Order: sequence, then structure tokens, then C-alpha cells
Amino acid sequence: MKVKGNLHPVSALLRQAVKIFEPLGFEVFEGPEVDTEFYNFDALNMPSDHPARDMQDTFWLTDGRVLRTQTSNGQIRYGKKHKPPFRILSPGQVYRNEATDYKHEAAIFQLEGLVVDKNIKVGHLFSTLEFFFKKLYGDETKVRFTPSFFPFVEPGFEVSAKHNGKWLELLGAGMVHPKVIKNMGLDPKIYSGFAFGMGVDRLVMLKYGIEDIRLLRSGDMRFLKQF
Amino acid sequence: MKILKSWLKEYIHQDISDPRLEEILMLSGLEIENVEKTLQDNIVVVKIKEIKKHPNADKLRIAIVDDGEKDIQVVCGAPNIKVGQVVPLALPGSVISGVTLKEANIRGENSHGMLCAQDELGIGDDHTGIFILPNDYQIGKPINQYISPDSIFELSVTANRGDCLSHVGIAREVAVYENSSIKREPISLEKTDSAHSSTEIDVQINEPELCPQYLARVIKGVKIAPSPQWLQDRLIACGAKPINNVVDITNYILLDLGHPMHAFDLKKIKNNKIIVRLAKKNEDLVSLDGELRNLDKEMLVIADADKAIAIAGVMGGQNSEIDMSTDTVVLEAAQFEPKNIRATSKKLKLATEASYRFERGIDAGGVEYAINKAANMIATISGGRVMSGIVAKGEKPNKIKIEISPDKIRSLLGLTIPKDEIDHILRLLGFSISDGKCEAPLWRHDISIWQDLAEEIGRVVGYDKIAPVSLDRTQKLIKTNYYRLEDIKDKLIDSGYCETINYPFLSENDLFSAGLKSSDLLEVANPLQPENRLLRNSLIPGLLKNVAKNPAFDKVLLFEIGHIFNKTREDQNLAIVSTEKSKEEFVQFVDVFAKQMEIDSKLFKIKFYQKGELISYKIKRQNVCVAEVNLSKAFENISVDQKLTIKPYSLAGMYRGVSKFPSLTRDLAFVVDKNIKSNEILQQIYKQSPIVNRVELFDEFVSDKFGADKKNLAYHIFLQAYDRTLTDDEAGVVIKDIIAAISNLFKAKLRS
Repeated sequence: MKVKGNLHPVSALLRQAVKIFEPLGFEVFEGPEVDTEFYNFDALNMPSDHPARDMQDTFWLTDGRVLRTQTSNGQIRYGKKHKPPFRILSPGQVYRNEATDYKHEAAIFQLEGLVVDKNIKVGHLFSTLEFFFKKLYGDETKVRFTPSFFPFVEPGFEVSAKHNGKWLELLGAGMVHPKVIKNMGLDPKIYSGFAFGMGVDRLVMLKYGIEDIRLLRSGDMRFLKQF
Repeated sequence: MKILKSWLKEYIHQDISDPRLEEILMLSGLEIENVEKTLQDNIVVVKIKEIKKHPNADKLRIAIVDDGEKDIQVVCGAPNIKVGQVVPLALPGSVISGVTLKEANIRGENSHGMLCAQDELGIGDDHTGIFILPNDYQIGKPINQYISPDSIFELSVTANRGDCLSHVGIAREVAVYENSSIKREPISLEKTDSAHSSTEIDVQINEPELCPQYLARVIKGVKIAPSPQWLQDRLIACGAKPINNVVDITNYILLDLGHPMHAFDLKKIKNNKIIVRLAKKNEDLVSLDGELRNLDKEMLVIADADKAIAIAGVMGGQNSEIDMSTDTVVLEAAQFEPKNIRATSKKLKLATEASYRFERGIDAGGVEYAINKAANMIATISGGRVMSGIVAKGEKPNKIKIEISPDKIRSLLGLTIPKDEIDHILRLLGFSISDGKCEAPLWRHDISIWQDLAEEIGRVVGYDKIAPVSLDRTQKLIKTNYYRLEDIKDKLIDSGYCETINYPFLSENDLFSAGLKSSDLLEVANPLQPENRLLRNSLIPGLLKNVAKNPAFDKVLLFEIGHIFNKTREDQNLAIVSTEKSKEEFVQFVDVFAKQMEIDSKLFKIKFYQKGELISYKIKRQNVCVAEVNLSKAFENISVDQKLTIKPYSLAGMYRGVSKFPSLTRDLAFVVDKNIKSNEILQQIYKQSPIVNRVELFDEFVSDKFGADKKNLAYHIFLQAYDRTLTDDEAGVVIKDIIAAISNLFKAKLRS
């Protein structure tokens, strides 16, 4: 008899998320990990002279490009090539230039969602994320939206879910900023949309009670074989 | 940023409880990182059960108090305690009046803490007796849950909300959620000197775009000394260091109003002239932190007639600082252009409380108020006389007008909110409204489009009022490459391979040691470790590091799907490693797998490493086989089968942690009745000891050679301890227990 191998818990969670979004017609689109400053920052309403750039410590390449700091770099690329309505999910690894410890990693997985159409409202975003977290954590899960700031959305939200009696901040979201819609080559007077991005590593850690984020990229089979 | 509740209260009409304040901060998007009560957690509520005389001291008594779990004896001198009273007990370790309490023996009787009077808790002045608490305070709880002289909120403020980087800014937010506005007293200057400031100082702005406003005031006859205790306490509580009674006041104003200020010693300003200009070529300045700063021609400085005396909006210079001999102070309150301050701060690698606020934008309408408040405080605290008038150059900026568009706001938010309500909320937030247009207050730099207004309305009304709207289900799902990759993963998992995820960073040596090419690689300019500055062009080095990481496993079967890079392309690769198979077996496996995935097997690059070849990876294994394929190229122009489905992968697995210490592996095989489920035994093995980390079934087969209706079950058992390296003896004991338990529970026989 053959002992089966194991899917990495990050892949397992991503796969579950993709399955949850399938009935809503979300297409999986993966952008590049190395990208230009334009797609990663400027096109997302983060000019270099804005303090919002400091939200993410960035790995710069010697050729002037960056290791993407968020999966949103794919938004403009996709938007330029497709006509709305579109609904996409972008899973992928993103990078932050910060010292690693049990809570911080230089590389993490993100799952980004983007919906663009005529007449997309805040209520669509709320509904979609409530749908997701109820599927992920169970029907009794409560979801809370509080104001936050990400330059590529307006309004921006911090989204928390009540899981096992505790409020957990799980993702950032918002209505796609008109400048970003415009950068996709679309008219913000006609089209609106919402976007959300969640840290998959953190969801995995909460799911299993993993105490050290570095285990996810340790290659330690004592870890990998538990899932 | 730290905010004191006592300080906020100066601006807020209402009395506000800590939980309500926390709720408002959350609603307005100000993330609370920490709440610190000035009373520590180890001062708890207790009830007096019994009072006895102290055998060796007339004025002392012994109280037995109940903390909800146990009785505690304390020696007490206060006359007012009675049995049944609820009182505060400071436990050993707590700090009372600056002294850390210890377990004490007072004249032969033990005292495990101290009952406290009001003044000892910093709550009031009363020292006549122990502070008697209301009876409904829960015994055993920290007293700070009910009363605290102050609460310190540590907030994380998003980059768009520079207006919230002060007490008045937070107070404005709090007031809005209480449907009111802040109270702010006008400043009436005390101790004014009739001579005008302009007789002592002249201001000239050479760069009006970088410095739209510059205000200066002069205060004569100050006596430099340490600040009064209350002022020092506030600064310290907010994380600032007290220096003297002039500098502290400028720092106080920064925390109070969000306005960075600076104080110069007038006698150190050459020709009594302040010039706001760009630095000259090769100009330098020793900043207040003692560092020599080389300036460039894009950096804005404050200068006197012949030299720079401050780096505008970032830090003052030592050559003009306030010292013990300062008699006349020139106060600066200015508005600097955010981008220039940010650029200077980045270039000098000098981020200060001032530059942080200027970068995010200050309240351009509040500059005069700030300088007047600071001048008044200096006059009151430092004994100076404020010269009349302000030397002011430049002007307040114009406010921008935004169309309110109630329909668009309602539609975006899905709220049926009347126009009056929209206007009311905007007015509460400090907007002025006329003719369907509004002007944002000058402290808000994040408002420029109607969507920004919608956010303000939405958050004040409450996001919980917004009804969810389902997306329709008409969007057709298009299956992309992701589905194909997940399918590949499933096939490999079925063949026994585990998925791993590695960093994309590599060193040259990683590639060289694995016999891989290192041309055309991308390089990180600011890597975490200088050696690992290359981006991988192959997944194999990562897999080899994983093999090295797992010496305790008799075989390692891993794969990774990840991005690889070179100067012109980014691709998705698959790589697999096996330490189990011979060269021939591996080639055959890859061949079969490639066919199954409809990939041309010639696209796979296969490598074998003999024993000793991977010594620089610290791998001593006999056979290490790797294969790698560029999936982006393999799948180029091949469309994804839309019938492909991905199987959900169970997330039900139980995680048992990973020890820092190495683990041991033991194999056990049992002969049992063929109807017994292998999983039941597996679960029982887990239960035998916490050092059982993982149990894996690796063999199951029914055969008459074990007896009628019997089968063989074989398990790998991985043992680890979290605090030490396990010894063989320890493992032996646990394995013995497992054998005994399984034999007993399942009438199992161990196969030797």
C-alpha cells in the first residue's frame, strides 16, 4: 500500500476558497510576482511621494522592479485586457521586506478578489464576504466591517469575523478607487467595483492553531505531513 | 500613537466610559493596539472576611481577605476597615507610590500585599483610610476594570488620517460619534509685552510652495527649568522625553494639536532674521540629536542670515537650540509641503514626530491657534512675557469644493438617508456646506471626491446599517490554469509526494552546488541576507534544502509549484524530489506522470545526485533524484479543459505542533481482526502519549497466513518532545505503552 502525500495547508485553504467562490463565477487569475513600480504602486493610487508607500516594506530589484507587495498588481493587468462584468480571484505569494519572526514573514500568500460591473455597491461587497466567511467558518459566523485605508479603494474596510467567540481581523477590502478603475481603461462614471485581499497564511494559522508562521515555509516534513 | 483619556476629556463635553471610547475608536477606523490602565492588573478587588488584632502592635490589625479563590492575610494600619467591606488589595509586585511591593513580615505577621487608600491608587487625595469600593465590584477582578485614574490608548492611525495624530484630532472623532462637537477655548494671551514681535525677528520665505505659511512669536524673559510634573507626566505617558520647560511645551502642542513646533534661542539667530530657503550645495548642520547632516539643494531649511539653523519640518539644529542660558525664545509654527518633508526625511533617514505629521498634512487652519497656545503656556510655565503680535508670512490654503451628490452616496451605500442627515453629518465632521457643495476642513487631507464623502457618511451612520446585496449567479465560470495545477498536485499526492513552499531567494552557491546555471538572474537590491540576493531560476535548490531539513525521514518525497525568474521571463515551474527511487525507477515514474498530465516528458529536466555530491547541502543520502518542468511553457497555447474539477481537500486534520528538537520514528505492525478499522487504532495510538506527534498507516493487508479473518496493519509512529531531544529509552517506554494498549483494546498481536 502506498502512503499518500499531503497538500500544503496554504494550498488546501486556497482551494477551499476557490470552491466557495465558484458558484458566483469567480475566475482564478494569477499575476506576476515580479512587477514594475507602476503596476504594484502607482496604478493603484500609491505614488512614491505618498506615506501610504510606507505601509509595506518593499523588496526592490536591481533593475528597478519590485517583488509585488500585494496581489492587487494583477488588477490593472486583468482590467486592461477584459471587458466588465468580471469577477476574479487572484491567489499568490507576495513579499514584504521585514525581519522574520514567529508572527512575520518576508513572503506570504494572499487571496485577492475583484468584481467590476455597472452598479456595484458596498452591499455587494458585504454580502460576498459574509457569504465567504459563513461557508468557511459556519453559518453562525458574524462579519464586521470597520473603516480602514488602502489607497486603491474608497471607501476602505477592515473586515473581521467572529470565530469561536473572538473577533479576528481577517482582511482588507473596499470599493475600487475611481482612479484605479480609470487605470484599467474603464470609465469610473459607468463602472464601479469592489476588491478584497486576505492573508492566507494567517487563515491557515487560525484554522490549525499554528503558532509560528515560519513553519509554513520550513519544508519540515514533521509539519507538512500533518495536513 | 498614545492617547491619554484624561487629556481627551479636556475636549469632550460628555463623560465617556472606556468601553464606549473603545467602540468609537473602532467605528472610526482607529485601530487600538493596546489599552494601558495606569492602575496595574495586580491591584485587585477583595472582600474583608475577618479582622484580628495584631499580637505585637497596637496600631496594626490583621485582615483576612477573600480574592474569590483563596484567603489572603494582610497587615493593615487604617482604622476604617470592617468585615464585609469590598476593598482594593495591591498584591506583591505591584507599584504603589513608586515603590514595588514585596511579601512582607510586619512585626512577626506575614502580609501578602497592601490594602490601599485613594491617594495610593492615584485616584484622589484621600488618605484618611482604606478606599471602600461599591459592593457590586466583582471579587478577584483587577480594580482597573472599574476605576482607573487614566487609560492610555495606543492607536494605529492609517496613513490617510494625519488629522488623527493628536488628542484634539481623536477628540473630534469621538465627538462626532456622540453627535456633538469638541470644546476648544479661545486663547487669551497672558503676560504680554507691549512691543511687537517684529521688532525682534524678521521672517522671509524664499520657497512659498514648500512653505505656504510661517508664523513666529517671541517670548522674552523665560527661565529655563524642568517642566512641572503634570507636563512631564503627560509627555512620558505618550512616550516623549521631557527636556526643559520650553522644548516640552512645543512637544506638548504636537501631541495636543498635532502641530509640530520649534523653539529657537533668539540670541543664536544671526541678524534676528529667519529665512526659509533650500539648502545650499555642501551645506551641513548638526541636528539636535548630535548627528552631522549633509544637506542637498532640494532640502528645505530654516536659516538665519548666514547658516541653516533647522531642517524644516524634520529637526532643529544644535546651533540654535534652547539651553539653560536662553532668555528670549522664538517660536515657530509653520506649514510645510508634505512631499518635500517626506523626501528630506527619507534621504536623511531621519523620521521624527514632526516629519511624520508634516508628511501626512497638518491642520493648515490651526497654525495660529497652535502658536498662541504654545506662547501662552510658555508665559505661564516658564515665566516669560509674550511679545505682542505674530510675525506671519504666507497664507492659509484655499479649501476645495466637492459636489455632495446625495443620490450617488445613497446608491453606493445602499442607504435611504435624507439629504439633511447627510449635511448634518458633514457639518459635525467640520465641513462647511453651501449650494449643494461642501468644503472639507483644512485638517482633512483625505477628502477630494464624492466617494470620500460617502465613506464619511457610511462610517458615521454605521456600516452595520448597510444591507448586504447578493451578487447574481449569472456569471459563467471560466476555468483557468489554476485548475490544471491543482490537478497536478492531486496526482502527485496520490503518488506519495508532499507539497512544500519555499522562498524564492537563493545564493550563487545554492545553484552552483546543485549543478544549475546562474546566468541571467534577477537580483534583489535590498535582500534580507546579502548572500541570498538572487531570485530563483529553479525550484530544485529549495527542494534540496528541504531534503536536508528532514534527515529523520527514511525517504523524502516532495514537490513544489512556484514562480521562477530570469531577466526576461517569469514562469511557473513544477519540481519534484525523491530519495526513494533508483535512477531508472524515477525516470519511469516521471514518464508515466508526464503522460498522465499530457505533458511532453522530454520537457522534464531530470537530475541524479550520487552520495557525496550534495555535501554542501549537508545531504548524505544515497540517491537523490530531481525533476523539473516549466509548466508555463508546457501549457502554452493548450487551453484548459473546462470539465476539469478540483477536489476539495479536507481541512479537518488535527495539528499537533512541531518541536524544535529532533524526532524519533518507530514502526509497529499489528495483526487484528479484519473488521477493525485502521483509523480506530491510529486514533488510539495518538491517545497514548502527548509525545506521539504523528501516526501514519503504511501497510494494510488481509491474508490467511495471519489466521482466519485477520489482517496486518503497520504504522509509522513519529515521536517528539517540545522541550528536549527524546532519548531511545523514553521512546521505548511510550512504544511499550502503545503495544500494551492496542493489544488490550483490539485483541491485537504485535508482529515482530
